[in-house]
Amino acid sequence: MQCGQFLHSATRRDFLRNSACGFGQVALAAMAGQKAFAESTATGGALFPKAPHLAARAKRVIFLFMWGGPSHVDLFDPKPRLNQESGKTLAGKDVGSDRETMGELIGSPFRFSQHGESGMWISELFPHLSQHADKLCVINSMHTEGRAHGEALLRLHTGQANLVRPSVGAWVSYGLGSENENLPAFITISPPRGHGGVQNYGCAFLPAVHQATAIGSAELPIAEAKVSNLANDRWNPKLQKSQLELIQSINQKHLNQAGADQRIEGLIASYELAYHMQSTMPQVMSLNDESKSTLDMYGVGSEPTDNFGRQCLLARKFAESGVRYIQVSTNYTWDHHQQVEKGHIAESAKVDQPIAALLEDLDRRGLLEDTLVLWGAEFGRTPTVERGDGRGHHPDAFTMWMAGGGVRAGLTWGTTDDFGYYPVDNPVHMHDLHATLLYALGLHHERLTYRHAGRDFRLTDVYGNIVHELLA
Amino acid sequence: MKPLVSGWILALLIFSPGAVSPAQSDATPSRKGVEFFEQHIRPLLAKHCYECHSARKQKREGGLLLDSQSGWEVGGENGPALVPGDVDASLLIRAVRYTDDDIQMPPNRALPAEAVARLEQWVRMGAPDPRTNDSAESDETFADPSDPIAGRDHWAFQPLSIPQPPTVEDAEWPRRSLDRFVLARLEAEKLQPAPDANPRDLVRRLYFQLIGLPPTPQQIEAFLHDPRPDAVEHLVDELLDSPRYGERWGRHWLDLARFADSNGLDENFLFREAWRYRNWVIDAVNNDMPYDRFLLEQIAGDLLPYDSVEQRDRQRMGTGFMVVGPKVLLGNDERRQRMEVADEQIDTIGRAILGQTLGCCRCHDHKFDPFPTKDYYALAGILTSTTVMERRHMLNQQRVMERLVGIGSDGEARDGAYEKFWREFPEAKEKADQAKSAWESLKKGDEKAVATLLEKNKDAVAEIAADSSKPMQQRITAQKSLAEKLAAVIANRPPIPPRAMIATDAEDPADEAVRISGEFDDLGDQVSRGFLQVLTHDQVEIPEDQSGRLQLSRWLTDVEHGAGHLAARVLANRIWHHLIGRGIVRTVDNFGRAGEVPSHPELLDYLASELINSGWSIKSLVREIAISRTNLMSSAHNETAYSVDPENRLLWKFNRRRLDPESLRDAMLAAGGLLDLAPMESTVWNLNDQATGVGKHPRRRTDFPCRSVYLPVIRNDLPELFEVFDFANPQATTGGRPETTVAIQGLYLLNAEMVMDAAEATARRILDRAPEKRFDLLFSLILNSEPTSAEREELESFVQQTRDRLQDDGDEKAEIHAWTMTCHALFASSRFQFLE
Repeated sequence: MQCGQFLHSATRRDFLRNSACGFGQVALAAMAGQKAFAESTATGGALFPKAPHLAARAKRVIFLFMWGGPSHVDLFDPKPRLNQESGKTLAGKDVGSDRETMGELIGSPFRFSQHGESGMWISELFPHLSQHADKLCVINSMHTEGRAHGEALLRLHTGQANLVRPSVGAWVSYGLGSENENLPAFITISPPRGHGGVQNYGCAFLPAVHQATAIGSAELPIAEAKVSNLANDRWNPKLQKSQLELIQSINQKHLNQAGADQRIEGLIASYELAYHMQSTMPQVMSLNDESKSTLDMYGVGSEPTDNFGRQCLLARKFAESGVRYIQVSTNYTWDHHQQVEKGHIAESAKVDQPIAALLEDLDRRGLLEDTLVLWGAEFGRTPTVERGDGRGHHPDAFTMWMAGGGVRAGLTWGTTDDFGYYPVDNPVHMHDLHATLLYALGLHHERLTYRHAGRDFRLTDVYGNIVHELLA
Repeated sequence: MKPLVSGWILALLIFSPGAVSPAQSDATPSRKGVEFFEQHIRPLLAKHCYECHSARKQKREGGLLLDSQSGWEVGGENGPALVPGDVDASLLIRAVRYTDDDIQMPPNRALPAEAVARLEQWVRMGAPDPRTNDSAESDETFADPSDPIAGRDHWAFQPLSIPQPPTVEDAEWPRRSLDRFVLARLEAEKLQPAPDANPRDLVRRLYFQLIGLPPTPQQIEAFLHDPRPDAVEHLVDELLDSPRYGERWGRHWLDLARFADSNGLDENFLFREAWRYRNWVIDAVNNDMPYDRFLLEQIAGDLLPYDSVEQRDRQRMGTGFMVVGPKVLLGNDERRQRMEVADEQIDTIGRAILGQTLGCCRCHDHKFDPFPTKDYYALAGILTSTTVMERRHMLNQQRVMERLVGIGSDGEARDGAYEKFWREFPEAKEKADQAKSAWESLKKGDEKAVATLLEKNKDAVAEIAADSSKPMQQRITAQKSLAEKLAAVIANRPPIPPRAMIATDAEDPADEAVRISGEFDDLGDQVSRGFLQVLTHDQVEIPEDQSGRLQLSRWLTDVEHGAGHLAARVLANRIWHHLIGRGIVRTVDNFGRAGEVPSHPELLDYLASELINSGWSIKSLVREIAISRTNLMSSAHNETAYSVDPENRLLWKFNRRRLDPESLRDAMLAAGGLLDLAPMESTVWNLNDQATGVGKHPRRRTDFPCRSVYLPVIRNDLPELFEVFDFANPQATTGGRPETTVAIQGLYLLNAEMVMDAAEATARRILDRAPEKRFDLLFSLILNSEPTSAEREELESFVQQTRDRLQDDGDEKAEIHAWTMTCHALFASSRFQFLE
């Protein structure tokens, strides 16, 4: 089918008639409600690529989400004193708390060493990633709210917990549109189904087109994941094509009869895009064209890296195809209330090589310079012990890192106290991270607003400071 | 207005203009002066004077304006109102002092002494006034938008006018009075209403509007052959009497009530009993429960008197409305949670019933609308004096969860026994384990282990077993018997009793303090429980030992002293929105200053008055609009009208509409003869307490053949069709669902199994017929219309070609498959998805 085949110019508006293959955008946008249509007529579509507010350092984001909460003091924030005093009770006054005691300390069993020219501290659990230390910008002073996963996940993804708000990816899609007319602007690979579920990649009151397209879900192996309703096994492709022609012929006659009706026009265009997506998505999702050396680099085909390797490789393919915001999630496997040592060894081994490969691959392809890679979770883990050999939830201080897309490579930002309990220097709140992330994409968090229920909403609500020091 | 106004004019007349020279006040008032003005004087003038003396209100009593500097400088018909610096020479001061019988302002009541003192001080300061001559108060610069008294001027807060239906040129066109309002606007713009829809379109429209289902071929024929002049009225009455009506219109309310079968937010725990509230709403709508009673039972049903247990339970179930909101459940400070729950309830009540965004004033006075933070906390006190959460068994723990109550005469006992069992379970299990362990130790002859256990928990060891003087076999037998007894206790788990989610009054109802910036632990002034001042015309006392919910729900529909007129406007507008496709106020959930104004204000007031006059009968108003000429118009395009009014605000045609996901699914199943019309109770019984758990947890089912309204509404895991086709977001009040057209909808209709299964079932029904009748039935079942000859030919050739191709591919079921593809294509077509 040719692009534009069903567009009979008689009743289409000029922008549709003249936009050739670009009409797919309009279709997808079209109608995300009247408002978005008004917007689409003005700008050429809700997902039409838009100019950012400011000079952009990055064009897209890949967020690697470690569901459950990795332990910062075991991975990026070495604490010699914590190790020395392991087994002792942490007094509140030692970390500036009003509480008398904070619990029993448990040291990290892992060795840390310095890496790259920057001398960045990374633990032995990330040997592959360590080789890319000079690409990373590590923030050790992250803090947020939410002591349970659900609340913290919602704050990480949407900035809010008790109210339903658009997710970061939806805001980015809204702010920047898509670079590929046949793909959504926001894709989430293996998203969590619990702890807020779709709300973590939803669009809330933003037009529906900005919601993420989900591929699989966290508990499923990515190799088995599908985008729903993308294929039809009942009818062969030839028959499907003739059936679609019949549908569009009926629609077109309906439109001719109805006169100007934007929604019937939108419906016709949406079938065009659906048809394109049916062939584009499987192409992008297929790893068949990847070389053996690439697959090996990501650890595809070997354990324990196969699943996360596939996810990272998919992320690269979507990035390459112009998707704006791609999230990759682990399963709910980082929540080590017990056996933090054993658990962290196992989980790190699943992701270390694939993440390093992703950075390497993006770099080789020239994509790293305008792709911002973000790594992290809803919170960190306590320096104190739980259930003998585990660590609890810790939103008060934890680590996230960024790479690529204009971030200051080789920087370790912010410090925590001697035990990793609270930030003491340059704290970065989740709202600050969101503001900074948008800024790197050329969007100002105070100007990226959407009018809903009578007022302007933004990702950072009334909070958020851009941390300019994190950007190159 | 009282005769005092003329006194004011008289006073101006007495004063010789020459006596008061129009002294120019300081051209650029000092900053301090401006601050004083902004802080004290502007709010005072706005609150007490603008109503009769402002350009914005187009009121200039006595010729005087007080909303600009030049206003008081030039003064009224005979002179300036103020003499800067000279208090005693200033008329305005004399008037507000209320000491002179001839001149007393404001006319109805003297200002508080403090306010008079402020005004005097201002005049003594030289009456600094930053309001330049050409910037009389506009909405943007309005002194204090949250001022509840000044806010009464906003159209939505004014009492209903009782508009007479206007006279129209074309007296033949209107069927009902409401049509006159529509036609008069069209005639004023020299526009014609569209002709009536053809009867086939009309019957399809009325069925979907009123019961959300397509008419069967027999029902279409019955209507087409009804010779009565009032066939439309008969059809509408028949549909309103159908139990299917409540399933459609109850769902409209459930959108507002943010109904769901699970919590959503941080932990998606199952609301196992929410379905009772869902069915309560459907029943209430079917029974046309008056709207004032409908709200009363939902907000305070637990507080109402009852004659029977059944009635008590029914009324209690209504309060599910207060309980089904989403909440942050885990790791949440209980005090914070209490404020969050109240916030969610205020937001829901505000938007659903009053069309107001009250949630805005949790942290600050409202930025646009006349609600100070104080009003918010007056309501919050009512809601925090209400209990909707309790500690009970959930997912193997005692957790703070939605409050449940046993239903039926033994409900309390069964619920009590159930909760007791689980409260004691951890201890009972430990004891049973210990008893078993002691038994095993005895068998092994390990006296030491038995002694240890005996020390830990003497109840876990039988008396005889503990007695080492007894023969071993006897001890073992005794311990075995105890271990088995204890094991039986924990094995004998009581079934979940029938319960309902309800609200109750807290034990110690109390007023709330304002929370500074909305922070739950930053307390400001205490506020008496009460309602929104802008809509309160009479003080209502809330007894100290009550939450105030009873008074709140009565206030909401109180047309004399409360919010009744606004509530009627909001509801009438919603009914119009659902039938006509767009509200008279298009921002259906926002009647505030940031919302839109009504396109037909008199019509809105007329409909709201009708609603009140009918005793708040929703069915009566639905009927009135459904049988109006306005609702019978065709959706035909008209270039002239389109060029004048492209958005159809004036209603020159019927708004073509997309079917909502419930109708879409029900209609596909109905076409295939697959739809089971029997009402359903719970459709989530197969789920665990984690409604969207991962791994072994079962997922919500959507394969029930019931109507869509009964499908599980699991927050964050809606049935796919709902998600794709713009179902209401069940996390918050949704008066108008979004209308999107996105590619995933196309993908769904082209590829989803459910669509193809319905297509195949429809094809089978069609193939049961003689060949010459098949295309008529195809059209009748799916599009509820009949084919034109061109349409028939196009489809005939598609069926034929597809059959041939399938046969060429060796498909033995080519016939049924070709017809299935045809039905499938029609389901995917715009003709099926849109309502003409």
